[in-house]
Order: sequence, then C-alpha cells, then structure tokens
Amino acid sequence: MSERMYENIQENIRKNPGGRPEKNTGENRREGSDLLLAVRNLSVAFPGGKREATVVDTISFSLRTGEVLGIVGESGSGKSMTALALMGLLKKGAVRSADAILFDGKDLNRVSAEEYRDIRGRSMAMIFQEPMTSLNPVYTVGNQVEEMLKLHAHLSKEERKQKTIQAFEEAGIRDSAEVWGKYPHQLSGGQRQRVMIAMAMICEPKLLIADEPTTALDVTIQARILALIKKLNREHGTAVILISHDLGVIRNICDRTLVMYQGKIVERGSIEEIFSNPKENYTRTLLDAVPGIHKRDDAKAAGAYGTAAAEYRDILVSVRDLTVAYKGNKEGLFGRRRVTEAVSHIDFDIYKGEILGLVGESGCGKSTTAKAIAGLIDSYTGTITPDNRKPQMVFQDPYGSLNPCKTIGWILEEPLKMQGMKRAVDRVAKAKELLAEVGLPVEYAARYPRDLSGGQRQRVAIAAALITGPQLLILDEPVSALDVTVQAQILDLLQRIRRQHNLTYLFISHDMNVIYQICDRVCVMTQGTIVETAAPRELIANPKHEYTRQLLASVPE
Amino acid sequence: MRQKRNDFNYRVGKVIVCAVVLFVLIGCVYTPYDPNGMNGALKNAAPSLAHPFGTDNFGRDVLSRVMKGAGTTFFVGLCTVAIGGIIGTLLGAVTGYYGGLFDEILMRLNDGLTSFPSILLALVFVSILGPGKYNIILALGIIFIPSFARVVRSEYITQKQMDYVKNAKLMGASDFRIMFVHILPNTRPILLSSLTIGFNNAVLAEAGMSYLSLGVQPPDASLGRMLSEAQAYLFSAPWVALAPGILIVLTVLGFSMVNEDAG
Repeated sequence: MSERMYENIQENIRKNPGGRPEKNTGENRREGSDLLLAVRNLSVAFPGGKREATVVDTISFSLRTGEVLGIVGESGSGKSMTALALMGLLKKGAVRSADAILFDGKDLNRVSAEEYRDIRGRSMAMIFQEPMTSLNPVYTVGNQVEEMLKLHAHLSKEERKQKTIQAFEEAGIRDSAEVWGKYPHQLSGGQRQRVMIAMAMICEPKLLIADEPTTALDVTIQARILALIKKLNREHGTAVILISHDLGVIRNICDRTLVMYQGKIVERGSIEEIFSNPKENYTRTLLDAVPGIHKRDDAKAAGAYGTAAAEYRDILVSVRDLTVAYKGNKEGLFGRRRVTEAVSHIDFDIYKGEILGLVGESGCGKSTTAKAIAGLIDSYTGTITPDNRKPQMVFQDPYGSLNPCKTIGWILEEPLKMQGMKRAVDRVAKAKELLAEVGLPVEYAARYPRDLSGGQRQRVAIAAALITGPQLLILDEPVSALDVTVQAQILDLLQRIRRQHNLTYLFISHDMNVIYQICDRVCVMTQGTIVETAAPRELIANPKHEYTRQLLASVPE
Repeated sequence: MRQKRNDFNYRVGKVIVCAVVLFVLIGCVYTPYDPNGMNGALKNAAPSLAHPFGTDNFGRDVLSRVMKGAGTTFFVGLCTVAIGGIIGTLLGAVTGYYGGLFDEILMRLNDGLTSFPSILLALVFVSILGPGKYNIILALGIIFIPSFARVVRSEYITQKQMDYVKNAKLMGASDFRIMFVHILPNTRPILLSSLTIGFNNAVLAEAGMSYLSLGVQPPDASLGRMLSEAQAYLFSAPWVALAPGILIVLTVLGFSMVNEDAG
C-alpha cells in the first residue's frame, strides 16, 4: 500500500472522525472500498519500570477484505504484541499509540470500551497458540463456543446448540454432537484447536487473527488446520492475519507477508517476492536459517559435516525388543490399572559416530525410547546393550533443564563433582573450557539461567552434557523451542562438537526438516513402533511406509 | 514482577519487623527495670514517664516485662518453626520425591494430625509432657510438621518432573543430593513464606498456650502469659494488656506484610 494511500486515510479521519472513510477518487477507489484494516504508525510500549521498552515501533500496514496476511519474525519481534494491540487486549502497563487504526470503517482509537467489546468477537476474532490453556478446563467446549452466541446474537438455547454443532462440523470436527458435551482435556490438541477456530468463526467475523495457531501441533495436524483456515477464508471471505515464526506455514497459505524484526517491519511484499527475492539482509538470514528437505547442501553434508552412512559399522548401542508400558490410573478403588504401551517391541542399533534421527508425532513414543536408553526408565522389557553406556541428554526446554537456582558455573561443575574431581580449581578450569567451546563468554559462569536467552541456555545445556565426556548424546527436540536463526546456530554447534569429540547423537525431533538437515539415518516412529529406517535422502525419495508418506506430505514447503 | 501495592506492603512490613526484632534484641541485654522486680508502692500504676506502659498488679514495669517476655515468645516461635520446618521439609521432600506406598501412609498420618485443632493437640501433648517452655516448643513443633510437609511435598512433586532433575540423575547424582542440593533451593520462595506464616502462628499459639497457663511458668514473662495475668485487671488497669497485645499485633502484621511479597 502506498504512502499516498495512508495520507488519504488520515485525511478521511480528520474530515470524518470515527466514521467510514469517504470514497476516494481515481485509482484508489477500488482499493479503498474493500479495505478492511488500515494501521498507521502503531506503537506499543511499556513505559516506566526498570525496562522501558518499545516492543512495536511505529508500524503501518493494511489488509483487504478476504486477504490472508502473514506476519513473520522471531520471538520478541513484536508480532504477537501487534495482534493484541489490534484486539485491544494488551496487558496493563502496555501503552498503545497510533495515528489511526481503521477497522471496518471505525477508528479503533476512538471507540468506547463497550463498542470495542462488541467488535471483538463479532467482527474480529483471535485464536492462540496453546489450545489447552485458551479453553477453560471446567466448562464443556460446547458451552464455551455457545457463549459467543450468547454475547453477540439473540438466539434460543436450542438454536444456539444447533449453530454450535454446525460450526463444529464446519471446523472439521467429527462426531460434533458428541464433542459438544466434552471437556477440553478429553480432546486432542488438534481437536482443541478446531474448537478454538469454531469459536472464533461462529459469529462470522470479518477478521481472524491467528497467533501461531499450529506451533503446538504435530506436522500432519498442522497441515489440516492450515487447510481449514484457508477454506474458511475462501468460503466466508474472512480476512486472516496469520502470525508465525515458521516461514513454511506463512508460505503455504498467505497472500502477502510482513517481516518483523525488533518491533519494526523490515520488509513487506507478496509471498513470491519475499521468498524468491528478499531485499533485506534480515529476511535473507531468516530464509537461509530455515532447514529444509528441499535445501540440504549435499556437498556440505558429505564433506564438512561427516561421512556417508555406510561407513559407520561399530555398534555403540543396540536396542532389542524394547517395550515400555505405563500404568494408567485405577478405575475406581478396586478397578484394574489400564496399561498402555508407549513403546512396543522396537529394535534398532546406534552406530558409533553417526547421527541417528528419531522422527514422529507427539505421543509416538520417541521420548520414552530416549529415556529408556538414557536409563531414566527402569521398568522396560527387552534389552538395551551395553549396560555401561552413560549417555547424556539435552532436553527441549532449556528453561526447564537448567536448575534455575544455580549459577551456570555450578551447573557445569556439578557433573564433575559427581565424577570425583576433587579440586575446585580443576573444575572451574574445565567449566570455562566448555563454555568457550560452546561459544559463550567465560564470564557467564557467574550468571543464572534466567539471565540467558533460549539459545544461550541450550548452549549451556549442551556444555553440561559434554563435560563428563560421554560417547552418546541424546538430543530430545533440542531446537524445537528456539527461533529459526538460533536453531541454525545450535545445529551448527552440534555438528562441530560431534566432529571434535567423536560423538554419536540420537537426535529426536518432530520436525522432518531439521532431521533431514542433520541426520545420517532416520527411524520413523508412530504409535510406539518403528515403521521405517533409512537414510534421509532415501526416505524422501522413496518412502516405503504409508505413515512416512503422510508425514512427508505434511511438511510445508 | 513485583507490583506497586505489594511493594508498599513489603516496605512497611520490613520496617515493622525490623523495629520489633530490634526491640526484642535490646530486651535480651537491657531492660529499664528488672522485669521480675516487684514494687509494692506502684501496683497497677497508670503509664507515666518513669513507666511508659504502667506497672502490673505486683508493681512490675510492663515495658521491661514485655521486652523480656517478647524474647521468650520469639524464642518459642523460632524453635517451633525450626522443628516443624526441618522435620516437615524432610518428610515433604522424601514423600514428594519418592511417592508410592510410603508417601500414602505418611500423608494419611499427616491428614490425621491436621484434622485436630492445633491448640487441642498441643493441650494433649502438654498434659502428657507437663507445662513449661521447652515442652511447649516440642508440642507446637510437632503440630507444625504437617503443614510444612504438605507444602514442601507438593512443591517436590512439581519440581521432580523438571528436566534439570532428569539431568542430575543422568550425571549420577544420588537421590539425597538431588533432593537437597538440586531441588531444595527451588522451593525457597514457597518455603520462606510458609516459614513466616508458621512463625506468626507459633507466636500466636505460644500466647494462647501461656494464656491458658500451660506455657511459660511464673514469674517468667511471655506475651501470652502477660495477657493472661492482665485479664483480671482488664477494667482497672487496661494498660497492662495493651503493651503485649500491641506487640503481638505488630509482629504478626509485620511478618504477614513481608510475607505477602516473599512468594
């Protein structure tokens, strides 16, 4: 949208405050008429306090009716704040300022709280990342969706129920009448997100803001949810603002996209423009950082990063007929515990020096397998040899895997104490050596985990895992919680460390792209069994199992 | 992030607590008069410059007795919280960390202990052990164990699922080390607030027990004992009750205000 256009809008506001903008003459007429949202110089700041910060810095953009606009950026780039600012749902202490936020003929700067509440829900709706916490756990989902109708429509109880069930059906929920009476915890993540979408769409809003709607979901479900959003967009003409850190998701369904960095829009344009010809450095970094099954540099992979899979012959760990069963809760006082097999009868070997990938959706048993190998689970059947393996693990959530009450130095020294390194001087020296190795300044030894960013914490976690010199490192979704640029750095670090220390990795991920980039061999897991094992290139070229094909088809390009 | 209103509470609470502690500490080394020294000429004298809070029915200086008596009450409170806190934390840590049958049994015992009013239980203990400062400490300490155990246990149940605990297991740390070196510091916020609440309750409980003349024995002073003695002269010499009453209120208020922000 051109600068002149904005000036026109501003002119309109001056002439006609609060009302629908007057029609422009000439070439702007068509654009002006189907303009749904125009934001001019929007800023969100947290004034006062110790950390005064501007999280959204004078951004301007517009959206037409029926358009799908993507906003992409790293965490902390201000994309969620932009969405919340539009909805008028900012936290206390945050201050929104804008020259104008024109939505559907109204200037949101000037509407009363009452009017705003009516606009929310009726003409603007939002879905959030985490479908578990965005639904109230003590009400049935049917009741919650109906509430929207209670607030915004005048219908009888029966009509409301009918309409809710209809909305469920449209959101692709099977057995919608039955789901109506269920509680959020009885539904799967994908179903919950569909309920959220049904709730958002039930009043047929003009604008749907989706804030990372698929980040918490598995890749196959992600594809279905995105298809659903696109379908609703086409059928109802609902404009969509899709916020994501995942360029693949943005590319899949958006018409145009904004790239945000540190609260500013650094680049904007159509999907083709941004992806084929990015102008800004930052956009290029972002695009380069994305791992992809369509991108792996084979020369780099074979040369710098290691050797072909065939060269690994020595078996480091051998897993035979591994079954792990969890006991469920007792049904009633004297009822029997239901036993569920998280992993059932799997066999595989880990060869010395390789990176073995374990890919699958959440709940397929990959983390359980990892824990069994790490020795964190005792109650399994089958054999894992040798017994004296002492693998270390790096976990997904770097916030949880480092003790928040201890300094980085203490965290790194602790394993050495366990190993019996008596002299404190030696331990400190070793900790510093490891910090330097993972690319952190040695001063960080005195800091606490909360002072570090997610990527830095993951570096510390890697250092802590390495410090005792294990042969096998189990990486359980080590980069899933990280931004894409940081993710690339951590993957690089892992590759470098593996070469220097002759390590073997068991790399667990739900992200086929990451697996493809880093692994020598991949085991595909579903429902507690390994269905296919192959080199990544072979797997993609020639998937043998139905599930593998499904998984690959869901990967956004 | 600390909110403004709580911040205000915290500051005021801190000032009150410091003042009370200072008052008690001074009372340990210096009192204007001998707290147990009687003066027949000055029975139930109203507050004056010489005796800012008046004298009681034996002519003893109320201020001096409060200074000394608060020390006793604080001592009882601290010891009680120490006994309850240490044993309760140990039990909570072990039951929360291991779970299972052991946990079930201990927690049901815990439930049993909590189901009696604490003063009643203390009365039972004291009637077995006999009255006196140290017996009161023992009785109250035992009664305070369940509340600490429960709080610490639930915190351990949450914390033991964190990845840093798995990490500690992987590096070969013993269960004991994981419980008390890795996890314990993470329960600090919740432990601190239960300690301050516990201290408040202990001060009140001591006052209550002494009021029922089961605690500190005469002629020694404690805040509760003084209140109990003042009761008989409540209408003729209300000032005798005033000083210990105010000190109890200030102590409890101060710690509550600090505590509101500690968690």
